[in-house]
Amino acid sequence: MRIGVLRGVSLYVLQGAVLSAAALFAVAAAAPGDPALAKVLACMRANVPPTLRIQDLELQATDRAGGTRTLKGRLYALREHGLLRAMLRIAAPPDLAGAAYLVRETAEASRADEMYLYLPALNRVRRIAGASAEDSFLGTDFSYSELKQIENAFNDADGQLEAPAQLDGRTVDVLAFRPRAAAGSRYSALRAWVDRKTCVALKVDFYEGAAPRKELSASASALARSGSYWYLTQAEMRDLKDGTRTVLRITGVTSGADLAARYFDPHSFYLGN
Amino acid sequence: MFFWIPRVARHPRALLAAVLLLAGVAAALSVDPRTLRPRLRIDPSAEALLPAHDADRAVLERLRRTFGDEDPVIVAVRFAPSVFTAENLEKIDALSGRLQKLPGVRSVFSLATAPNPLASGDELTVTSFTAQARANPAQIARLPQQLAANPLYRGTLVSRDGTIAAFALRLDYSDPARYVREDFSGRVRAAAATVAPGAPVWITGTLPVRAATAAALSRTLAFSVPAVFVLVALLLLVAFRSLRALFAALLTVGIALLLTLATATALRMEFNLVTAIVPALVVAIGLSYSIHLLAAYFLSRSMIPQAAPAERAEWVMKRIAVGLTLSATTTIVGFLSLLLNPLPAIRAFAWLATIGTLYVGFLTLSFTPALLNALGCDDEPPPFGQRLFAALGQRLARFDTRYRIQIIAVALVLIPLDLWFATRIRAGTEFIQGFSAKAQVRRDFEAINRAFDGANLVQILIDTHVNDALADPAQIRPLQALEDWLRKQPEVGAVVSYIDQLKVLNRALNGDDPVYFAVPDSAAAVKQLLVFGGGEAIQHLVDPRFSSAVITARITVDDSIAIGDFLERLDAQLRALPPPLAAQATGSTVLAVHAVNALAGGHLASILIAGFAIWALLSVMFYSMRAGFIATLPNVVPVCVYFGTLGLLHISLNPTTSLIACIVLGIAVNDTVHFLARFNADARERGAETGAIASALAAVLRPITLATAALCLGFLAFTGSELRAQVQFGWLSAWTLFCAWIADMLLTPALGSKLRIVTLWDLLRLDLGVSPQHTIPLFSGLSMRQARLFALLSRMEEVPAGTRIIREGDYARDIYVILDGNVEVLVERHGERKRLATLGRGAVIGEAGFFGQRRTAHIDTLTPVRLLRFDSQDLERLRLRYPATAATVFRNLNRIQAERIARMTAMVS
Repeated sequence: MRIGVLRGVSLYVLQGAVLSAAALFAVAAAAPGDPALAKVLACMRANVPPTLRIQDLELQATDRAGGTRTLKGRLYALREHGLLRAMLRIAAPPDLAGAAYLVRETAEASRADEMYLYLPALNRVRRIAGASAEDSFLGTDFSYSELKQIENAFNDADGQLEAPAQLDGRTVDVLAFRPRAAAGSRYSALRAWVDRKTCVALKVDFYEGAAPRKELSASASALARSGSYWYLTQAEMRDLKDGTRTVLRITGVTSGADLAARYFDPHSFYLGN
Repeated sequence: MFFWIPRVARHPRALLAAVLLLAGVAAALSVDPRTLRPRLRIDPSAEALLPAHDADRAVLERLRRTFGDEDPVIVAVRFAPSVFTAENLEKIDALSGRLQKLPGVRSVFSLATAPNPLASGDELTVTSFTAQARANPAQIARLPQQLAANPLYRGTLVSRDGTIAAFALRLDYSDPARYVREDFSGRVRAAAATVAPGAPVWITGTLPVRAATAAALSRTLAFSVPAVFVLVALLLLVAFRSLRALFAALLTVGIALLLTLATATALRMEFNLVTAIVPALVVAIGLSYSIHLLAAYFLSRSMIPQAAPAERAEWVMKRIAVGLTLSATTTIVGFLSLLLNPLPAIRAFAWLATIGTLYVGFLTLSFTPALLNALGCDDEPPPFGQRLFAALGQRLARFDTRYRIQIIAVALVLIPLDLWFATRIRAGTEFIQGFSAKAQVRRDFEAINRAFDGANLVQILIDTHVNDALADPAQIRPLQALEDWLRKQPEVGAVVSYIDQLKVLNRALNGDDPVYFAVPDSAAAVKQLLVFGGGEAIQHLVDPRFSSAVITARITVDDSIAIGDFLERLDAQLRALPPPLAAQATGSTVLAVHAVNALAGGHLASILIAGFAIWALLSVMFYSMRAGFIATLPNVVPVCVYFGTLGLLHISLNPTTSLIACIVLGIAVNDTVHFLARFNADARERGAETGAIASALAAVLRPITLATAALCLGFLAFTGSELRAQVQFGWLSAWTLFCAWIADMLLTPALGSKLRIVTLWDLLRLDLGVSPQHTIPLFSGLSMRQARLFALLSRMEEVPAGTRIIREGDYARDIYVILDGNVEVLVERHGERKRLATLGRGAVIGEAGFFGQRRTAHIDTLTPVRLLRFDSQDLERLRLRYPATAATVFRNLNRIQAERIARMTAMVS
């Protein structure tokens, strides 16, 4: 049983929504030695909104046999005293509608994030503790481990800025990172292609050994803007070994808006719309 | 057909150079120059035996495509005194980490990674068993109970006695060659030794077993081929006492083998349990051909002692060309009959063995004589045992003639008796028990099979083709009933499906209340639990659309018959599932069982076709269906004995034993042909069959015995294999071939002693002069073929000039037809010779004696004469076997008599 994936869900959905920008929720203190790299990271950090509401979020997972399953929902996230609060409520398919997740980041590093799950069938909230970061989220190709990998990577002072490249007709900065040994990641390296104009990553490769295992990619045409914040309306995560993929689509992104506290309260997050 | 022989014989150097060049190319094709290892790949998987488009295979591929992953590698480590101590749980955690870091490991499933949901109030802790033990040592005491209560882990993560922990490793590859190359098992053992020094470790799973099979096949190949060479080389050395002859034979067969391997490489054929037999088989067949060739070569020294090398080569080639071609043809017919088999591995065997036989046959015929001349074998001592075998042949002939009826009776009793025993035969094979009891792979498998609830997997693919059908409790109920049924079967150790996962989730999210260890009442609840709680594990059990799922059963039995019995019962259960539920058993084990079961149908057809084809070939060869039958019968008996042996010893028909009947039938018939051809020649020369049996046996006993010994030794080389199937193949092939030799030495002479045979070769080369049907009245109205048939069933005699053929006053019943030359008919009266007539080609003489009267005149040859002599027995034989020809001959004989009477009447009047 892999209920532990809930731990990363809101972070991850944010990641899926705004790619690397979401990952930078946790990297504000990063201070790379390379000024050029620091500049790129600072620009990306500027894309992180204080609050976020995604009206329509869709996850379409395609398995090896070509079968697809689609989940739709709504996401709310904010930073409260520097700590992340995120809630995802499922809207479709109908038999899953009403299910909700809540993640509340804790201040102490030794304490795991608080995660809550509400299932209409049980009609009660369960607090979930423990579980693995490697698990997939709702049977998709996203998992907490990739998010943590990005988070760790962008915190890594040993990251390198490689020669700029062209991707989808746009100039991109290429960032390469290796995880710290202590991180215990399944991935050996990470490379991100960050659009120079918007500071949004258009592609991220997750390496197992010498070869990429997963690839997160988006088209430049999916770039959109909410206020001063850039994000992607569609991205795709591919598992290059298993041959599965998940497409994430978002619409109705609102940043900087006031969000009701009940969305992030373990006693009421699942109530109402 | 053999027009090329003189040309090849005249250019030995060109031939030797061409063959050696070809061998060089073949070597370059077969061996990787960088590693000096053969390029030919070994595929030990059961799927390799099945057709690429087989429906079963398609189901397995669909299952793997949908649910991913090959079968895992199972590692079991004993932790004394029990797994459930803080120290040992830490070791398990450490070992899981180390195993996870091994190259190619995608995931490790163990006590350190499997989540154990613990409910406490509204909180659910989902961490691994080892993490919980570390966080709360008091939890350790509860672990056995928690494991026993969880159908996902019961008997899976820890042995029932609590001393052995299991680690299921999913690898990102399924190539046994990589497994062996990277010494994966060695790395696992090293990791275990680091964490738990001295702890016993067992490793099993499809991949390790395939790797072990591939390694065993490699070793069998590496052992059997040289072993055949050595054994048969010793035999050749003893038999021919010539190192140079030995070298020539070995080089010829070696090159043929190289060409066979190069062809297999070029055709991208892979060696499997069946095709791995081909190399040693080609060597054995080649060396048996060499025995016939060397016998002819050494005979040439006495027959044409002054001949030049090219002349000798041509003589030898012509001497063995027909016999060798026929031998190779019957052998190939035996192989090709296997093409009817549904298993592609057996069809690949048939092609490869055919190709090898063609190579070895052609090279023996063409290359070896040239090589023998080049090596200069003229001064070698005469072959060993010729006189001994000749004497034995004479004694054997006397025995065969004396006990003819008894021998035939025994054979006729043996056939139904063996067929009765054969009714006990079942198609089946042991998979892991195919290895010797001492083999590490078998010991590991059996240890894990004992400690846990089975080590063989049977997967059941449930398909509904309806989205969300498997989330519907109404559809889940029959599947639950199926799981319950499975758990009651004696062969089944454990069963896991998404339903178990569902129940565990339901209980965990409902405060660990046992009441909730059940399927929820609504489809929505089922989906919510599985989608939000199932995580990655659920992807391996049910598809995202909830339209298909897999139920995995671990079974404790290993042999295909027991598994087949279980599958038969299972299939009945699966067929009874209500729509839209459709299910099919699959998995490597199931495919292997189906592959073995598929043998039975194709096998009988192959044997019948081989028998029919050989009978047809021999019928053409001997120009008579009856003669073809008599030549085939001695080879049917050993095949029946073979099947009787299988039934009597309860040996199952498996991919290798199913080859034997056709192989032996194709090979053993060569001896029959050799004997009958020699018998035919001797009988024609002597004019009587009885004496010909002795002379033919005396002549062929040695080469046939040596060739059989060479083949038996070749097959016995397989008994050194680590794989039981190959060992069985070796013993049974040698035994069946030995039985065929016995049949050829006893039954063939007994059956043939009353048989006048005509060979196709005789028919083609028989010279009856120009237009015999027009120039010889007895042949009037016959075709050339019919005229030759009659001539061959008679006796062709060459008589020098001045010889008396018929003496006046004698009682004799032979009739003569003059083919060439002139005779005079004369009487002697009062000391005077009175010539009555001079007769030439076409004249029929001696017919008065044929009708029971004394000879009425002398007949002397004036020139060298060729005669056809026949009697009433010959005519009766002709009537029985070729009635149309006989009718014409009788009509002609009557006409000749009538004309003669008319002439005499005219003279008198």
